[in-house]
Amino acid sequence: MEKKSVWKKITSSRETSLVIVLLVLVALISIKNPSFLGMQNILEILKNNSVIMIMALGMLCVLLIGGIDISITSSLAFAGMTVGMLFKNGVIHSTLLGFVIAMAIGAVCGLVTGLIIAKGNVTPIIATMGFMYIYRGFAYLVANSQWAGADALGDFKNFALESYLGLGFLNNVLFIVLICYIVFFVILKWTKFGRNIYAVGSNAEAAQISGINVARVKLSVYTMMGFLAGLCGALAVTIYASAQPNMQQGKEMDVIAACVIGGVSMNGGRGSVGGALLGALILSVIAKALPLVGIDALAQNTVKGFIIIVVIVLNVVTQRMMDKSNLERREM
Amino acid sequence: MAGKSGRTIEATPQDVWKKRIFSWEGMLVVLFLFINIFCRCISPNYTVANVLREMPKYLSEIFLLLPMAYILMLGEIDISVGSTVCLAATVACMATNANVPFVGVILITILTGAVCGMVNGFILLKFPELPSMIVTLGTQIVFRGIAEIMLGSGGSVSVTNTAGFRALSGEIGPFPYVFFLVLICGAIFVVLSVKTTFGRSLYAIGSNSRTSFYSGIKVGKIRFLVFTLMGTFAGIAALFLTSELYGANTTTGNGFEMDAIAMAVFGGISTAGGKGKMIGGLISAFIIVCLRIGLGQINMNPQVVLIILGALLICAVLIPNISAGLGLKKRKKI
Amino acid sequence: MRKKVFSVLLCAAMATSMLAGCGDNSEPASNGGTTDDANANNDAAGGSDDADADDAAGGSDDAAGGGAAGKKFALVTKSAGNPYNEKEAEGFEDVINSLGGECIIKHPVAATADAQVSEIQSLISQGVDSICVAANDENALQAALEDAMAAGIKVSCLDSKTNAASRMTFANQAGTTEIGQALMDAVYDIAGGEGEWAILSATSQATNQNAWIEAMKSIMESDSKYANLNLVEVAYGDDEPQKSTDQTQALLSKYPNLKVICAPTTVGIAAAAKVLQDQSSSVKLTGLGLPSEMAAYIGDDDAHSCPYMFLWNPIDVGRLGAYISAALVDGTITGAAGETFTAAGMDNSEYTIVDAGDGGTEVILGAPFKFDPSNIGDWKDVY
Repeated sequence: MEKKSVWKKITSSRETSLVIVLLVLVALISIKNPSFLGMQNILEILKNNSVIMIMALGMLCVLLIGGIDISITSSLAFAGMTVGMLFKNGVIHSTLLGFVIAMAIGAVCGLVTGLIIAKGNVTPIIATMGFMYIYRGFAYLVANSQWAGADALGDFKNFALESYLGLGFLNNVLFIVLICYIVFFVILKWTKFGRNIYAVGSNAEAAQISGINVARVKLSVYTMMGFLAGLCGALAVTIYASAQPNMQQGKEMDVIAACVIGGVSMNGGRGSVGGALLGALILSVIAKALPLVGIDALAQNTVKGFIIIVVIVLNVVTQRMMDKSNLERREM
Repeated sequence: MAGKSGRTIEATPQDVWKKRIFSWEGMLVVLFLFINIFCRCISPNYTVANVLREMPKYLSEIFLLLPMAYILMLGEIDISVGSTVCLAATVACMATNANVPFVGVILITILTGAVCGMVNGFILLKFPELPSMIVTLGTQIVFRGIAEIMLGSGGSVSVTNTAGFRALSGEIGPFPYVFFLVLICGAIFVVLSVKTTFGRSLYAIGSNSRTSFYSGIKVGKIRFLVFTLMGTFAGIAALFLTSELYGANTTTGNGFEMDAIAMAVFGGISTAGGKGKMIGGLISAFIIVCLRIGLGQINMNPQVVLIILGALLICAVLIPNISAGLGLKKRKKI
Repeated sequence: MRKKVFSVLLCAAMATSMLAGCGDNSEPASNGGTTDDANANNDAAGGSDDADADDAAGGSDDAAGGGAAGKKFALVTKSAGNPYNEKEAEGFEDVINSLGGECIIKHPVAATADAQVSEIQSLISQGVDSICVAANDENALQAALEDAMAAGIKVSCLDSKTNAASRMTFANQAGTTEIGQALMDAVYDIAGGEGEWAILSATSQATNQNAWIEAMKSIMESDSKYANLNLVEVAYGDDEPQKSTDQTQALLSKYPNLKVICAPTTVGIAAAAKVLQDQSSSVKLTGLGLPSEMAAYIGDDDAHSCPYMFLWNPIDVGRLGAYISAALVDGTITGAAGETFTAAGMDNSEYTIVDAGDGGTEVILGAPFKFDPSNIGDWKDVY
């Protein structure tokens, strides 16, 4: 029991250090460019990165069980492209139906990936690497060298502009992000399924012996990841009013980076919803700020990579210091 | 700690696994022959001369496979190699244009790669808690970013005096130099992994780095060494890639890391570390290259080629697992 | 042992079935199929706006059975999954088929020079008679294209050229200076002759975009008419919707007095148009974009962000490339400046090869076409 509270303290203080990093970043940027803290700018950041923020939740669960999924942006593109083409060809007109189809495609993609990993015992990175190529290929085949542009998407593109879900106060997209975070927070904190995820990640063998169906947990986690990727596919199409087969390519690494920056362990068992959120926010702020503070366009990538490395190294250093002080306290 | 114990569940049937791995290389050879016959059947242009002429571009990726296999054996991963190739190729072109003698260009290019590898190795040495994937993700962005800065607003550089690179892409009969170099390097890597203490410690660290550490293997040092090796070979790959392109730009080497990892995995080298054989990786590399050349010659949609490669990758791991599972069940019945 | 054989067989069977299945799949992408669509679309558009386009489809049929019969013509586009490239391929295929030649279209897997080199090497193996390439990098294809020329293959470029040493001639969609001039005049006109403006480009190494931006800059400096226009920044959106959106928003908050954004790239202009339109910003947009992607944003009123933009007909670019390839193969031209060839059924049926100013030669298709609210409705379904 005591051990658990110490562990909890570490995670909570981990997040405090992230909050500090985030605040310092924001402070530095807003000194350089005061408009950064404007309400509109903040909403833009959140909306423009909602896809990464939502997928970070799924990736959090995947990483928690000790897995990894690099096929997410491919299933995102597959789902998004399919919906885009359905609208373009006039097969569907309803926004809701568009979302349902995208989420269904994503969930099926995730289910297949999960089956291969959980039942076929294929290492997650290999399985998802294979599906990264496969689903991306499907997206290209569905697209058949076409894009679905703003004109073809009809009412669907207005979803990201309106706020009827958020009762007029909160943009629809941000409302969905909020709901996702609440749901995952509840799942991971207060449900048996959430505890099972942590158990599988901490020690799969022990979890299996203590009666948890490890394969089923894995399967559900990857299906959940796929579901979120499908949702994000539809969101990406409505936010940018454009469906292209190569959309979000390579962004899976941003999602993983967001989680790791947020203190999620890649060995499984450690990480929290708050951490994933903070990690995603730090990345979004960096991406948004680089052009704003007047860093030369050509140097932006270098600076971004450098900041990522510095943040994760800082993470490790603070963690070490915390461990040390914990140890000292215990010795006393 | 946690993930490690998860692995032992999958690896419990040790003896079955061993047999599988023994058979895997044999199967790859069969598959290699099969793919070649298959390609010959579908494309009348699939001749030795044509294949060898198309190969050099792909061979530069095999240079990346060799050390990548070591890295995977260690249970690590390096996704910054594509960017390292980009940076080294940029340096190679700029050095040539600055009238550096060609030997100097070769040295500078390889050195650039080695330094990039050292940076990765150094960070991992100082902060062993960090997963290599995330460190190399960061350096991936940085290395390509540095190349972008060097390349300036044009984003592209071309070699004005191509003489040196033309010599490098020369041939002996139908065989390009690089072909022999790949085979020699491949042989060295195979021998290193099988016959030396270094090779054995690779497997030991991959299976359990903590135990290896306590049994006196210099885990950090070997990891540093292997990542430096990876960078060095990325430099070599950049050199030969430049001899195919006479130039570099910001997209050079894009996706090479995934190709190299896919080749290794298809060759039976587990990304979880400690398993697989170098020779398998080498054969599978040639399988993938031949398949790509063959399918390219019948003008198959490149996305479909990727779908096939993805499916092959999964099946390469899935089929032995399933048959191992079947074998296990049978044995239990007895 | 039996298990070993079993797994080999299984793997082999799987590979075969997959290859067989996919082989069928790729067939319509490279042959027929899409060509009919192109003709149909073209006819529809030609009726309303461009009578010559109609002739192009019909006229080219008469020329069937020329010197191109039985030869293999290849086109390497910039990348797969891009409608602009697909339309070029359609035009190319259309003409080659009507001339009786065999057409091979290669869409590289990614928009990189690396990927194009593999495709070119593969085409050399197949013994094609001509390769026409839309280069992703001006210099990096040199080695591969020199190999091709050494093998007796006629090499030309369309849309985006390689350096002079690795091409015979180049089907240029519009003169670089003309595009620069058109965009500069559009900026001048929309900004009302003075004020701040910015450029949102594709990637920093995009050959065409860089050439056009350079042309705009030199036009701006050389003519005092543009003295009151102030180019504040060239931003790069990397042809990604998300990054282009970020960059556009950054431009807006960095430069409150910004009047015009010029985006000479399809993805960038659509992303910027969406940002401006959603914010009902007073900043206006122009540039180069596909009508099908931009239709929702083009309009004269405040509700639309883009008063007008430019592009050329990618189908015609592909056609011109095909005629150049055919003329190179049958020996009508060698790629030297001053030579002429006929492109039966194109807008002007006789084209002259001119000096491109980089040591090589080019053929210019025509002036960029202006898309405004009056004609966008006719073109949005064509390309």
